[in-house]
Amino acid sequence: MDTLVARYSRPTYQQNEVFSEQDQQDFTDVVPPLSLKFAMPPVAHPSAWLRAATDDRSNPSCPIKIAHGTTTLAFRFQGGIIVATDSRATAGNWIASQTVKKVIEINSDLLGTMAGGAADCQYWLAWLGMQCRLHELRHKRRISVAAASKILANLVYQYKGMGLSMGTMCAGVTKEEGPALYYIDSDGTRLAGDLFCVGSGQTFAYGVLDAEYRWDLTTEEALELGSRSILAATHRDAYSGGFINLYHVKESGWEKHGFTDTNPVFWKTKLEKGEFSNVTSNFAE
Amino acid sequence: MSRRYDSRTTIFSPDGRLYQVEYALEAISHAGTAIGILAKDGIVLAAERKVTSKLLEQDTSAEKLYILNDNMICAVAGMTADANILINYARQAAQRYLLTYNEDIPCEQLVRRLCDLKQGYTQHGGLRPFGVSFIYAGWDPQRQFQLYLSNPSGNYGGWKATSSGANHASAQSLLKQDYKEDCTLKEACGMAVKVLSKTMDSTKLSSEKIEFATVGQTKDGKIYHKLWSAEEITALLKEHDLAKDETTEERRARHDRREGK
Amino acid sequence: MPEVLLGITGKDFTLIAASKAAMRGATILKAADDKTRQLNKHTLMAFSGEAGDTVQFAEYIQANAQLYSMRNETDLSPSALAHFVRGELASSLRSRKPYNVNLLLGGVDPITHQPSLYWLDYLASLAPVPYAAHGYAQYYCLSLLDKHHQPDITLERGMELLTLCADELKRRLPIDFKGLIVKAVTKDGIKEMPFDNDKVVKGT
Repeated sequence: MDTLVARYSRPTYQQNEVFSEQDQQDFTDVVPPLSLKFAMPPVAHPSAWLRAATDDRSNPSCPIKIAHGTTTLAFRFQGGIIVATDSRATAGNWIASQTVKKVIEINSDLLGTMAGGAADCQYWLAWLGMQCRLHELRHKRRISVAAASKILANLVYQYKGMGLSMGTMCAGVTKEEGPALYYIDSDGTRLAGDLFCVGSGQTFAYGVLDAEYRWDLTTEEALELGSRSILAATHRDAYSGGFINLYHVKESGWEKHGFTDTNPVFWKTKLEKGEFSNVTSNFAE
Repeated sequence: MSRRYDSRTTIFSPDGRLYQVEYALEAISHAGTAIGILAKDGIVLAAERKVTSKLLEQDTSAEKLYILNDNMICAVAGMTADANILINYARQAAQRYLLTYNEDIPCEQLVRRLCDLKQGYTQHGGLRPFGVSFIYAGWDPQRQFQLYLSNPSGNYGGWKATSSGANHASAQSLLKQDYKEDCTLKEACGMAVKVLSKTMDSTKLSSEKIEFATVGQTKDGKIYHKLWSAEEITALLKEHDLAKDETTEERRARHDRREGK
Repeated sequence: MPEVLLGITGKDFTLIAASKAAMRGATILKAADDKTRQLNKHTLMAFSGEAGDTVQFAEYIQANAQLYSMRNETDLSPSALAHFVRGELASSLRSRKPYNVNLLLGGVDPITHQPSLYWLDYLASLAPVPYAAHGYAQYYCLSLLDKHHQPDITLERGMELLTLCADELKRRLPIDFKGLIVKAVTKDGIKEMPFDNDKVVKGT
C-alpha cells in the first residue's frame, strides 16, 4: 500500500516514462499524412497566408478572427486532479459565446481542456478521443495519460509553424500512473506537472491558485480553489467569462461538479466574504 | 505740497504715505456698511444697501454680496464696479485651483490671491488702486469657518467679527461689545441686524435696505452658503423687532386685499 | 513592464512597494534602486517607465509639492497631489516629448487621516483604488489581492499580502527583479518597512 501511495504522490514528471513498443508504434502510425486530409489554400506558402489572414494582433482588421482567449486550469492533489475552465469564446473584441464547453471528455477517465483556437482544439481533441478509443480496441486496455498526451503533442508538432493555435491540458487517472497531468501546446511543448493554468487569463488564475495550493488539500478545498481561481480570471481578463466548468478526476473516473454562472458567484463571494473590494461605488466622484 | 505725491500711486510722500491708497480707503468709508460675524457653526455677512428705489428689481441686483466659490462668499464695501473685476478674478482663480487639484481652494489662499493683485496696483505706476474692501466668509477642511477682511492696500487679516464702510468704527466697537465666543449662527444673525440697525442712518430697517448671507453646515455635514431672500430678511427683522412699521396706507391696502375688495 | 510597483491601503495606512532592480536592456545596473519619491510628510509616489523620464518627472512633481508646502504653510492632500500629477501628465501627453511614466501615489489625508491610493499611467488615467499594481505584476497580483484584500486590514496584514504578492512574482516572473523596497505611509509619516527579500520560493 505504502509503495502504491508513494508512487502516486510523486509528481508525474519524476516518474519514468517508459512507453511500450506498441505505444511507440501508435505515436508514428497515428499521425495522418500531411496535406492529404485537408484541402490547402492554393497559394505558395499556406502557413504565411494563414498568418496574414488571421493574426489580429498585427492586423486588427484581418479577415478571419480566430476565437481565442480563455482561462483553463488543472492541478494534481492528494485526492486526484481538479480541472476548471471558463466558458467564453471571443473573436477579436466580439464575445462569440458564453456557453462553450472547454473541457473535452475524451473518455470516462480522461479529460482535455481547450485554450487557443476553438476549432483547432475541438477538432484535435475529438481526434485524440478517437485515437484513444482505437488504442483501447487494439490493446484491450485503457491508454495511459502519458501516451495520449504524446499522441497529441506529436500531432501538433507535425503542424508546427502552420498556424495551429492550441494550449491544452490532458488529465486522467490510470492504474499505472495514478493521477497524471500534462500540458501540450501548439509549439510542440509537452510538460508533465502538478499545476498548470493556460490562456489569456492564466496569470490571474495562477495568482490565486499558487497562493493556496498544497498537495494535501481536501477535495472540497481543491474544488473551491479551482472555482475561485477561474472566478479571479473572469473578473480581470476581458477574454474570459461566462460559466465555471468544474471537474474532479479520480481513480474511478472523472466527476462533473457543475457549470456555474460566474455572475451570482462573484456577488456572493464579494458580499459574503468581502473580497473584490475594488468593486464599489465609493470611488465614483 | 501733497499734490506732488498723490497723483501717482507708486510714489511715497516724504512722510511715508501712499496717498492714492488712503484716498481709496476714504472712498470706502463712505460706502454702505458691511459686517461679518463668525459663529461656531457658521458665518453671517450683512451689508447696507445704499441704492434703494421701488423701481429697483430686488432679485437681479445684488449690490453687496457675492458668491466666490462653493466654499466662499464675500461682502463688498466700496466701488461696486471695481469689485466686479476682483470678484471675476477670484472666481477664475478658484476654478483654476479646482481644475488643478480637484479640491476647493483654501480660503486664505483665495484671499491672498486677490490681495496680491490689489497690492500690485499700489506699486506699479499709472493705474489707481481698487477702491474696494472685502469681507470674506468661507470654510475649508483645515481651518473650518473663517472670516477675513481685506482693503485696497492689499492687506488682509482674519477676524471673529469685523466691519467695513460707513460707520465701521462704531460698528466695530458694537461688535466688540456684543461678540460672544461660541455664539451660534442664529445668535450671530441677530447680532448682525442689531449692529446694522444702530450704524445705519434710518432707525427702522427693511429688506430693501440690507442684504444678508450665511455660510453654514447642514445636518449631514455639508457646507452651504445662502444669499437671503427679501422674505427671509423681513422675517429676521420681525423676529428682532427691527422691521419698518407699515404705513397706514399699506395697512389699509392689506386689509382691503383680505376682504377681497 | 518588468518593473514591479505595488500599492495596498488598509485601515490607517498605505503601503507602497517597488522592485529594486534598475534594468537597461539585458543588464541590471543597480540592485538597490529606490523607485519612490516622498512628496510631502504623508504622500509617497512610486514610478516606473522610460529611463530618464521617470526620475525627472517624479522629482519635478516632488519639487512642486514642496514649493506648495513652503508657500502655503500647509501640505497638499494625496488627492490634490494625484489630480495635480494627472494634470501634468495630461499636458505632457500632448506635448512634443511626452513623459512615459506610470505611477502609484499613496498617502494618508493630513486632516482626516484617511488612507488613499491612486493609480496613474502615462496616458494620464487616474483611478482611486484600494490596491494597485503596474506592469506585469498586475497580471499576477491583482487577482490575488481581489481575493485576499479587505478595506480594514492592519499594517501587519498589509505586509503579509505584499509577501504573498512577492512570492507569486518570484515564482512566475521570468526575470529577477531583485526584491522589493517597501514603504508605509501612516498619519505619523513615511517609513521604510523591513522586508524579507531573501526568501526562496520554489516553483511548481
